[in-house]
Amino acid sequence: MAVIVVADDEFLLAQMLADLLEDEGHEVFMAQNGRKALDLVRRRGPALLVTDFMMPMLNGMEVATEIRADPALHDLPIVLVTGAQGGIARDRSDLFDAVLDKPYSHDALLEVVARLLERGRGTGSP
Amino acid sequence: MRDLGRVESGVAGLDRVLGGGFVEGASYIFQGRPGAGKTILSNQIAFARAALGEKVLYVTLLSESHDRLFQNLSTLKFFDHSRVGQNVIYLSAFSTLRDEGLGAVVQLLRTEIRRHDAQLLVFDGLLNARDRADNNLDVKTFVAELQGQAAFARCTTLFLTSTELDDASPEHTMVDGVVDLSEDLVGVRGIRRLQVRKARGSAMIGGLHQYEISDRGITVYPRLEAAIQRQWFDAPGLEHRLSSGCADLDELIHGGFPAGSLTLASGPTGTGKTTLGLHFLSAASAEEPGLHFGFFETPQRLAQKAQNLGIQLPGPDVLDLLWHPMGENLLDKLGSQLLEHVEARKVRRLVIDGMGGFSRAAATPQRLTEFFATLINRLRDMEVTTLATWELREPLTSVAGAPVEPLSALHDNLILLRRVERGHDLHRTISIQKMRDSDFNTSTHALRFTSRGLTLVSPSQWDPEGIAREVGSI
Repeated sequence: MAVIVVADDEFLLAQMLADLLEDEGHEVFMAQNGRKALDLVRRRGPALLVTDFMMPMLNGMEVATEIRADPALHDLPIVLVTGAQGGIARDRSDLFDAVLDKPYSHDALLEVVARLLERGRGTGSP
Repeated sequence: MRDLGRVESGVAGLDRVLGGGFVEGASYIFQGRPGAGKTILSNQIAFARAALGEKVLYVTLLSESHDRLFQNLSTLKFFDHSRVGQNVIYLSAFSTLRDEGLGAVVQLLRTEIRRHDAQLLVFDGLLNARDRADNNLDVKTFVAELQGQAAFARCTTLFLTSTELDDASPEHTMVDGVVDLSEDLVGVRGIRRLQVRKARGSAMIGGLHQYEISDRGITVYPRLEAAIQRQWFDAPGLEHRLSSGCADLDELIHGGFPAGSLTLASGPTGTGKTTLGLHFLSAASAEEPGLHFGFFETPQRLAQKAQNLGIQLPGPDVLDLLWHPMGENLLDKLGSQLLEHVEARKVRRLVIDGMGGFSRAAATPQRLTEFFATLINRLRDMEVTTLATWELREPLTSVAGAPVEPLSALHDNLILLRRVERGHDLHRTISIQKMRDSDFNTSTHALRFTSRGLTLVSPSQWDPEGIAREVGSI
């Protein structure tokens, strides 16, 4: 199974998401702000990043922008889960591989995670 | 005296109660039980500031999730989805608080205020922060550091808490203002009230003020008698009179009601009070716009009634008919709506049908006299001549000639409408009980409803022997 970084400043939501992914057998690292998310991505080399939009330090779009600009990381699939910015983020297929609006169904999330882990970036529009 | 920079809340009525809005860079506690409306109020303020182009940082600890919050806010008109994440940034600091403590939260917020150049910070979770503190000194330090950082950035801070912090709590002593939100049961109805308990540098209006939550968010209705400071008014002049709209009545009172006066038409149901009001409004014009502010009859029924009686009401360009059905009305909301409408339309002829509608809306009847005094004085100040009705339910003999509580001494003129029996006939009568500083005909006249409206019949014609006797109300 895969290493996944979950970035969300809302602890309970991040914990629920981590539990869901761990139940699927993945190893999950959590970050409660954008800066820590970027650090975890660099240190842990995950196969996938699931990130919130509004977070302290760096928001989800800033995190994704830094990752795409880093040659060592720019192929990392990124899923944005957001309560309000889905519309804006959907126009940024250069940054995000999938966008899920909160509240999202567990099945929808797991389907997106499975697809991106299997096929990598560019396997569908956000 | 130096004027402090002010931040408007964007919440109708709140700035007035606060004494001009928030002080820029100051910190305030909003406290109240769950459901009191703290979240709605703070978000309403946040989006009002965002609409002005400002940045707002909305920080939560353990509360409803942000997406659930957005779902709930989306039912309110002020919520602008497009500003979320752009002008209004929602962040959770719970993990930071739990893992690193209060000092780290202050550090985090300092960074975020600067990063977003936020002019307003909402911190929802003072109770959680308190739980994380080891002692009162920790709480004081946290609040002092946070408000210090925010003030340095000229960022106004609102702390939200669901606890009832007492006045001596460290939080209260540190912040610049404290606003209580509460809901009390009065009989079977719930009344929401707001109280500013502290507002440094501001001439706040103390005491309780009603507020309501609607799809427009929160509206605060400052207590009328406290919000309108000027209480001294010149007595209405006698030189200018406004016709009552009924020629026969004008004759009894020598030309009409003195401009700026309050006339109370008092009597049991069915004696002609509303019809007198329609007569008065029939004389509304571009120079003297009219308003019917009523509780009982719909505008359609009023128009029909006027038509049936041959009373020509002017068009909507000079006459408004506002109907407030009896229900769970708020006293100060009614007063505020009346005064705002009078001001906006420059109303000069006003009929309030009836004053009992205000009394029924009063959760605290003890303040009615002060409320009416302020309302009436304000109307006089706006040069409004008012005809108000008051329904009597008691046998007439107990009140004939006596002013009615709580309007005693407030009215300038008093007209008594009665129902009397003469032989086998029931008659409606009208008598002038009082015209302040003015002569009037003291005879009791019979009141007839005709196709030309009300006409008055002199005593020599309707009761030459003087044998009519009063009957109680039906």
